[in-house]
Amino acid sequence: MNAIEIRNLSKSFRGMYAVDHLNMTVPQGAIYGFIGENGSGKSTTEKLICGHLVPDGGEIKLFGKDYTDPGVRVRVGALIENAGCFPNSSIYQNLRMQTINLGLENADEEIDRVLKIVRMEEHANLKFKKCSLGMKQRVGIAMALLGDPALLILDEPINGLDTDGMRIMREILIEITQKYGCTVLISSHILGELEKITTHYGIIRQGKMIMELSAEEMDSRAQVFVSLKTADMAKAKAVLKTKFDSVREEDGYLRVYDVEDVESIVDFLMKNGHVVSEIKKNKIGLEEYYIELMSQKGDK
Amino acid sequence: MTKEIKFESPTFVERLKGMLGVDFYRLFHTPLFYIFLAIAAIIPAMVSGMTTMPDQNGNQIEIYQNAWQIIAASKSLYVIESIADYANMNMVFIFGGIMVSIFIGHDYQSGYVKQLFTTHAKKQDYMISKSLVCAFAMACMCVTYLLGGIAGGLFAGYDWDVNAGSLIIAILGKMVMSLGWASLYTFLNIIFRRYFGISVASSFFFGTGIVIIGAAAIVENLSLPTFILNIFLYGASVNASLVSNIWTLVTCLMVSIAWAVIYNVVGTHILNNSDVY
Repeated sequence: MNAIEIRNLSKSFRGMYAVDHLNMTVPQGAIYGFIGENGSGKSTTEKLICGHLVPDGGEIKLFGKDYTDPGVRVRVGALIENAGCFPNSSIYQNLRMQTINLGLENADEEIDRVLKIVRMEEHANLKFKKCSLGMKQRVGIAMALLGDPALLILDEPINGLDTDGMRIMREILIEITQKYGCTVLISSHILGELEKITTHYGIIRQGKMIMELSAEEMDSRAQVFVSLKTADMAKAKAVLKTKFDSVREEDGYLRVYDVEDVESIVDFLMKNGHVVSEIKKNKIGLEEYYIELMSQKGDK
Repeated sequence: MTKEIKFESPTFVERLKGMLGVDFYRLFHTPLFYIFLAIAAIIPAMVSGMTTMPDQNGNQIEIYQNAWQIIAASKSLYVIESIADYANMNMVFIFGGIMVSIFIGHDYQSGYVKQLFTTHAKKQDYMISKSLVCAFAMACMCVTYLLGGIAGGLFAGYDWDVNAGSLIIAILGKMVMSLGWASLYTFLNIIFRRYFGISVASSFFFGTGIVIIGAAAIVENLSLPTFILNIFLYGASVNASLVSNIWTLVTCLMVSIAWAVIYNVVGTHILNNSDVY
């Protein structure tokens, strides 16, 4: 079963489509990375799924049911734009309100559980307005986790976090999917971080889904390349171009694409009088793949 | 392997219980509620402190002849003849409007409303819960107003003679009217949810009864029976005076519930068909 199934979803503001006949499929149990430029329609799509916005047309199904079904929606947790907490209330009070809202009987246990997951158990009595950005994001996740959600919708949860904050967030997301079987829809600009946790990707541009693929498919599509350094990069590049189709200079390295045999490159350069000082085999990451994809679509 | 998930649809009562629970929790944990309870108590005490004021000729006149006039007007007056007719428990509906605006405004300003609308697919839950909780808050303000009014009356040394039955009906009538007023303010705050200042101003504007006072002037000029003004919230509220009878209470009850239903239905329709955040 798919956790989210969207067909032909549209939403316009003042005649401009923010979401333009979008189709989307998020399998149950997936960590779905939702990628797109600023203003591409990610947050609007997420708000539509959460019922904050009224669609112009199309269909949204959550776990096979219409998204307006109260039984499904009560199992959706969301962190969109900010945590949605009262600043003058403590973290505990904010979470307590959500347990009441969800009708949870074992409120204190549940609050302890989610605070442990987000590593905030020591700060329950801290006023929300006193929290750092990273803490606020974690409280937002804790809010979303209350009541055993089947689906988590997280809009840019790692924005503004430091390296340690990102690591904690990554561990939290992996834990909640593996331990609680939750499906996660996550949007982020930090693609390198997203790449470490996502099982599926959806790439949106100008309100349209331009590609959906699994992490395995992404892996198989990602180009392999060998990057190297020589004393005379310009001449070495010219030499390599006589034998290999795709050679580029990037970040102070020469990149030879779609070649896995490192030795053949070293031999070839040696025969042509170039000594390789540094060489490594690599694969392009999500970020580069995304940039490449965007530039191709932009050209079209 | 994916976990098998069962979805159980909460009943209307379960959904409303959750929403009401949150709103009551918030109400009792916010200083705003207690501040407005205090304001409701202080205002009548202050008004009774102003025992005299100048008339058109500059002569000092007594505002009230009776302490209970601080609670309800001596008769149903839709057009104000003196400050004494105006300054009574109806003022709770003005402060109440401001309180409701701030209470609902915080939902939007904090972003908490996103949590509510994510987990509550039915928008009517929000309208009903806010109307009921704010009605409760305004009814509580009526009680503190009553206490403040009694204290003020004692302090000013007014006469206490009153028809006890009419007084009780007037107080109950105004408390019952809280539901209609709270629904109106909830509705106004739904319409102006993106503009906090306008929400507060509109609540104040409607709470003062300016609209109905204008309507009353027209009705009087046309020599129409003034009781038709009782179909409006302000009219029914003014009608609950020190000469009330059981029909006054019945009128308050019917008018309050009718307007509450109207505002809730229209408010839910607006929420269902517009972007909520």
